[in-house]
Amino acid sequence: MKILLINGSPKTKQSASAALLDDCKACFSRETEWRERHAARPVFSPEDAAALSWADGVVFVFPLYVDGIPSHLLSWLRQAERSGSIRPQTRIYGMVNSGFFEGEQNALALAMLKSWSRHAGAVWGQGLGIGGGGALTAIASVPLGKGPKRDLGRALGDLVRHIETGASAEERYVHVNFPRFLYIWSAQMGWRSQAKKNGLTRRDLDRRQ
Amino acid sequence: MTLVITDLERQWIPFEGEIEVIGPDSSILPCIGCFGCWTKTPGKCILKDAFCETGQKIGRCDRLVIVSECVYGGYSPFVKNVLDRAISYIHPYFCIRGGQMHHRPRYANAMDFQVYFYGDTTPQERETARKLAAANALNYDAKSHAVTFLEGRNPQAEASL
Repeated sequence: MKILLINGSPKTKQSASAALLDDCKACFSRETEWRERHAARPVFSPEDAAALSWADGVVFVFPLYVDGIPSHLLSWLRQAERSGSIRPQTRIYGMVNSGFFEGEQNALALAMLKSWSRHAGAVWGQGLGIGGGGALTAIASVPLGKGPKRDLGRALGDLVRHIETGASAEERYVHVNFPRFLYIWSAQMGWRSQAKKNGLTRRDLDRRQ
Repeated sequence: MTLVITDLERQWIPFEGEIEVIGPDSSILPCIGCFGCWTKTPGKCILKDAFCETGQKIGRCDRLVIVSECVYGGYSPFVKNVLDRAISYIHPYFCIRGGQMHHRPRYANAMDFQVYFYGDTTPQERETARKLAAANALNYDAKSHAVTFLEGRNPQAEASL
């Protein structure tokens, strides 16, 4: 099985999408042949087209932006659709993470990716919506299936099995195994510490410009 | 003030009264996910182009109107780009709304949120688009929201938005 992984984060390092891709790759069996492309800009290249034509399955991993697909990736997808480079039986899978705690908040982005797969003439495989994405880079070294990555490990293990067998399944939603109030508290501490590093005070976060 | 965000040329927007239009008049940079609009220059996007103050403009409107081609059940890449660059409209801190995690408001305006989609759509895409507008309205803490689908690919024929 030839699997193309598409990192749809605009960030070149320290992204939740890259952390999820690392976990995904660790789940692949030795027989699975995979390649990776980074769709960080709204540019669809001939190399992207060749990679799409090569793949039996394509896995998109990206962050939720304003309840949907980030615009640079949306533009990339539109160009990919028009390029006609996807083979008809290619299976499409999606992993979307958001800073919100509830994995279900990624459902609309997955529905849009599913719609794209139909327009591109491909077959929808499965979507996985992941909540608590703000914690994923901090817990990147935690083994999949353990502690805060317990539910993620189970869902990702199932997803990888579907990817490797070319199967389709229902969408699934998980979040980091962490109490929500603690997640919110630590996220807000994160914003404050980021502001401080930028020479701002806590009050400055309320600015209306 | 009514703020219109659209992928159409300005002359196709038949609104009257106090109105500001954000349209595809110049090229737009994509969001780079840096959160600078929350923690570096709160309220304003750090990327320098004509779209860096959209969050503030949304904060001044009492009606936000989106006119967009419906693409895969969502907005067109241009309209989505404008919205992605305007998350400073909301505050980085969180609150619980309807049992789910959302962002706190930054501004005191309570706006009516209206979306007009044009272009060919499937029933599933229209369902996704309706849910999208509702989800956006919830995240923007809007006072009301409404979705209209304009028939066909030529919205010019629809004179009464």
